[in-house]
Amino acid sequence: MSLKRMVVILVGFYCLMGVMPLFFGGTDYIMNILIMILIWAVVASCWDVIMGFAGIFSFGQVAFYVVGAYASAILSVSLHVPPVYAILLAAVITGLFGVLVGLPCLKLAGPYVALVTFAVHMTLVPFLRGPMGRAIGSGGAQGILTVPPVSLFGMTFSSEHLVPFFYLTLFLTIICTIILVLVIKSYWGTAFLALKDSENFAASLGISAFKYKLMVFGLTSFITGLFGALYAHYVGMLSTRMLSMDVFTILMIMIVIGGIGKYPGVVVGAVITVTLNQFLAPMGMYRPLIMGAIVVVLVLFLRDGLVNPIIRLISSRQKAGRTGEYLS
Amino acid sequence: MKKTGFLAVVCAIVMLSGVSGYSADTIKVGVPLAETGAYAGSGDNYWKGIDMAINEINKGGGLLGKQLEVVRFDSQEFAPEVVMQGANYLCGKMKVASVHAGWAGWGQDIRAYGKYDAPFFCDDGAMPAVDVYKSNPEKYSNTYFITDTGGDQANSMFSMLTALPYEYPNKKIVIINTDDAWGMEVGDTLSKRFKKIGWKVAKRETVPYGTNEWGPILTKIRRINPAIIHIEIPSSQEVITFFRQFIKQPTNSILSYGWSITPLEVLTTLGKDADGIVGEMPAGMPAPKAPNSKSQAWVDQYMSIYKHPVPAGSWIAYTSVMAWADAVKAVGDEYDFKAVNKHLKEAGYEGLQGRIKFGENNTLHAQPAAPIVHYQVQDGKLVALFTDPPLKPYGDYKFQVPRWIKK
Repeated sequence: MSLKRMVVILVGFYCLMGVMPLFFGGTDYIMNILIMILIWAVVASCWDVIMGFAGIFSFGQVAFYVVGAYASAILSVSLHVPPVYAILLAAVITGLFGVLVGLPCLKLAGPYVALVTFAVHMTLVPFLRGPMGRAIGSGGAQGILTVPPVSLFGMTFSSEHLVPFFYLTLFLTIICTIILVLVIKSYWGTAFLALKDSENFAASLGISAFKYKLMVFGLTSFITGLFGALYAHYVGMLSTRMLSMDVFTILMIMIVIGGIGKYPGVVVGAVITVTLNQFLAPMGMYRPLIMGAIVVVLVLFLRDGLVNPIIRLISSRQKAGRTGEYLS
Repeated sequence: MKKTGFLAVVCAIVMLSGVSGYSADTIKVGVPLAETGAYAGSGDNYWKGIDMAINEINKGGGLLGKQLEVVRFDSQEFAPEVVMQGANYLCGKMKVASVHAGWAGWGQDIRAYGKYDAPFFCDDGAMPAVDVYKSNPEKYSNTYFITDTGGDQANSMFSMLTALPYEYPNKKIVIINTDDAWGMEVGDTLSKRFKKIGWKVAKRETVPYGTNEWGPILTKIRRINPAIIHIEIPSSQEVITFFRQFIKQPTNSILSYGWSITPLEVLTTLGKDADGIVGEMPAGMPAPKAPNSKSQAWVDQYMSIYKHPVPAGSWIAYTSVMAWADAVKAVGDEYDFKAVNKHLKEAGYEGLQGRIKFGENNTLHAQPAAPIVHYQVQDGKLVALFTDPPLKPYGDYKFQVPRWIKK
């Protein structure tokens, strides 16, 4: 997708999100959905960058998110680091963790990377619940119950102050989105695509697979960790239930709806998935059934996701219109 | 194109707005339970009790002349933001007059529903949830814990196990518990209590949910040959597979399943094979014969509707709905939360087994009107041996030495 079109979609989306509190500022239920849309939009975007652009089948996105959340919570609860610094430190810790996970993955191909990263996801539960987790302050099985809210310039940002928290999240989301767009449209992004298409050919052009793959692991895990940390201070409570398959599946549905490697389709995917998931919650067992059916339909009929075919349709109509004007 | 864009924005706003949650003709009752995921089974048990109470009230003319309307929310696997969203949806958007949750998380639910004033009944049964309540009792004063914590229930299990009319061949116990707050609390308390009376905790194993291969643990157990094996895993699959693998080469041990005996699937799957296992149910209904005619009528009605015995959670969930309805009737306004909460705390409720009262930390501690019931499986059914407090034998039912214990 062209940079211009990408920017138009993202600016439109964030402008629309920015005015939402004017209509729904007093409705906690809607504000919570909007905040979760912003958080998941960035986390899913990071996954799209690593999987869709860099072609690395990493399944560690939820793990990075949880590492960021726990790191910030432990820093602020056990070591009494102010939440603002704890969030930044947690992002750095997650970035380093991402690089560590990325190192063994560099020697592996496709499904093996998925296995290694998913193994990281799976080992986090027993680690955080077990004696090692308890030793570092994870709270073991009960989790961390008293994660303090973010305080900045005399204001409190938490689930009890939804509008301020929404704008804090929006601010960070926009910054991270700009970073991701710059990466995708820069030499880095081209290098990612080249490595994805043909690693040997890219290497012959002087593109270092080691450098760029490690870089993408570090960057995406840093941003994911940042938003995991933000989430921890938002809900004020953490447990290993964040690592449930339900969360993992929801994140995957966002990518499928948005289209893998079709950024910013994944942002729209996050809007649709979070909203649908929340509105279907009162329907009980029909929620996963409907969500599952959507994935099946999309995979069978719209492999590029929902957004790209719509854009193609609009483009072809515009072209047809222009051709019509020219002929007449 | 412009029209399409405009329509899309309108649709988005309409979708986000949803339907209006307020209607004066009915009283909305929030029911956030796990309907999907690993805890859907226990969620269903609570739901049956809640549904029965609501149907009973509606058939009797409703509450304050209005019918009760259930608003459900799937708590899934209690991820913090899902629980929070449940509270925002039910209390914030749908303006429910009360929330009946059953097992709703381990503390995140207290914070989520503490933001609102509607009475919130939960069966978290673990200390972390009570700790959240204790951190700000005024703010969380609308929370009602409908059963005791794991530690208190474990104390009752200890009393029952040491009161069994049975001479233990040795003083060794093996404790297997899950790696969640509930399992750890029960395991820790039992371990402490047995050590205090000179027993040896020969093996303490903490396992994750989904453990179905028990070979290595059973090998060690067979070497130890303990007098008691206590298993605290509130999920049916794990305890069923444990029993099936244990019974192939059993040890001379009393098999104590604690709360794990109560999931419906355990008895429906094992049937008479499970004869001999002991276990407990907090705020339970003694069976097979209920303690009085009113209770018996309720049990009969339950069994005629659902075609199975009363599992953990059903009766107390029913009772909490009735207690709330009684308070609303006394106050005369379902939205006067302050007065409803005051009535609930001060007056309690005359339930089927007697008057229940919420005690310290707004918890329905074990009491004669809502006892911890200790059962043994006999002839494929749960048979009450003891009720607690005070711990006393129930009816004429007698403990039977399990068939796998060789003299």
